[in-house]
Amino acid sequence: MRKRKHLAWMAALILLVITLVSPLIPMSVVSAADSKNLIYDEANLLNEQEKSELNALANEYGAERQTDFVILTTNNTENQDVELLTEDFYDEHALGYDKAHGNAVILTMDMYNREVYLAGFYKAEDYLDNGRLQSIRSRITSEFSNGDYKLAFEKYIKLSYKYMGYEPGVNPNNILFNGWFQLVVSVVIGGVVVGIMTYRSGGRVTVNRATYEDSSTSSVIDRQDRYIRTTVTKRKIEKNNNNGGGGGGGGGTSRGGHSHSGSRGSF
Amino acid sequence: MPVIEYKCPNCGSGMLFDSATGALSCPSCGRQDNIEQIPDPLKKQVFTENEVKEYHCNSCGADIVTEPETSATTCSFCGAAVVLSDRLTGDLAPAMVLPFSISKDEAQQAFKKWCRNGLLTPSGFMTADRVKSITGIYVPFWLYELHNKIEVHGRGTKIRTYTQGDYHYTETQHFDIYRRIRLNYVNLPIDASEKMKDELMDKLEPFPYNQLKLFKTPYLAGYIAEKYSYTDEELYPRAKEKTSSYIDSYIASTVSGYNSVSYTDKQIDTTLKNADYVLLPVWMVYYDYNRSQYTFAMNGQTGKVVGKPPISKAKVAGWFAGISAVSLLSLKLVSWMMGGGFL
Repeated sequence: MRKRKHLAWMAALILLVITLVSPLIPMSVVSAADSKNLIYDEANLLNEQEKSELNALANEYGAERQTDFVILTTNNTENQDVELLTEDFYDEHALGYDKAHGNAVILTMDMYNREVYLAGFYKAEDYLDNGRLQSIRSRITSEFSNGDYKLAFEKYIKLSYKYMGYEPGVNPNNILFNGWFQLVVSVVIGGVVVGIMTYRSGGRVTVNRATYEDSSTSSVIDRQDRYIRTTVTKRKIEKNNNNGGGGGGGGGTSRGGHSHSGSRGSF
Repeated sequence: MPVIEYKCPNCGSGMLFDSATGALSCPSCGRQDNIEQIPDPLKKQVFTENEVKEYHCNSCGADIVTEPETSATTCSFCGAAVVLSDRLTGDLAPAMVLPFSISKDEAQQAFKKWCRNGLLTPSGFMTADRVKSITGIYVPFWLYELHNKIEVHGRGTKIRTYTQGDYHYTETQHFDIYRRIRLNYVNLPIDASEKMKDELMDKLEPFPYNQLKLFKTPYLAGYIAEKYSYTDEELYPRAKEKTSSYIDSYIASTVSGYNSVSYTDKQIDTTLKNADYVLLPVWMVYYDYNRSQYTFAMNGQTGKVVGKPPISKAKVAGWFAGISAVSLLSLKLVSWMMGGGFL
């Protein structure tokens, strides 16, 4: 009996550990010395402290995913296209975590046209395809519109990090991947199973409708299934438009020959 | 003399019903009498109509103290098995009896085994070492034969969906449904004892009716028996209520192939063909645990145990946590295999 009790405690402990520890695991320590600058705030949207905080965050998460999470803000005085601007910036600065012109995600803020562009290169092109970049962009656009840049950048880094944890091709927003959803479902399963066990502990009815039926004299004597009419309703199929809110775009190839995924939109 | 006892013709000891052999047996000299062949002393007796108030034990002469519904018991002074015959004759004569096939020792063993299998019961309860008493009771039941004539009218729909061009079509075919059914139930048991809880007795079913014997009083020797507290007419509504869910599911089984069915008219004409008064064997187990008493009932033929055992909060919590943890782990595993990362 003692053994069973121990098992129960162990199980409870496992549940607790999984729930509490899982969000903390990605926090690996990156020393300040080998952090590189990933924040190019040419439009001066951030103060020094915000910049260094974001840089630390980008370095820390980037190391986990072997990818540089880059932020570029520009006043775009030459009025260049934001996608072109991003590609040129990548070519010029030779960005990349693993090598020059390597894995990188770039968030470009064009303050002149109030446009935002997200691009993923190499590993990030696979893991952050157009759809995922679109999803990231749609989640941070409202912060941009409100001028809440620091928060938006933070969300961009965290979401990019999170999405790169999913294999390419799966939907990262699948509810099955949501930790809270998983927890709620498991607790519901546990509750239902234990509820049934409790209910059935007092014995259950093991007779059914056939037990006392006298099948030799019971039968359907007469049956009719008469067709009356047919009704038809029709509904127009909605064509869903992915690029709501002035968004759109996609990937391309930079002048330096580096292919990338992308998503653009205004804010 | 309304009290019947069974004296061994060889040695004069009190004879008892033996569940293993199904015979009236003498514990002293081992004599076994086939109950179906010996004449029932009940048949030879004639009673006056007015109810007897006092019974005296034939062996020791003591007053037999019983509750008004008891029809068989043991003398509380000398332990002799006695049958109060005026409570088993006339309207109160059972048609059939289902004898015990499980002895008291076997019942005790079976109950202990059942307790050990309780997944949520406290450990202290599972040892079953505080069984206060275990009593074999012949519980009065009515076995109903009900004939139903059923007429049902309803509407059914069959739904087909398809896409054509820019439109999504839902095509619904409507049908008029009619069924006329003859549905008969036999040997539907309803417990007729006031003391026995209905939900406990309902769960004891099914009883193996092929073991039913024509009623003879020696089957009761050594057990407690009760006479019915309710007549078959009084319990008829309960019998109908018990079959109503059976009838509904029978009707549903005759209406298939539809996406939805709604009944506009359902007429069930039930006639009570017959109701047999029978005595069915039940072991009642009284168990003291943690200063409260728990009552269990065991089918005296099949050994099925029913009754609410105490529930251990710790074990409920343990199972809950365990099942939740396993579910969470498997969900994590599924999401990992789908490429979603483990955490």
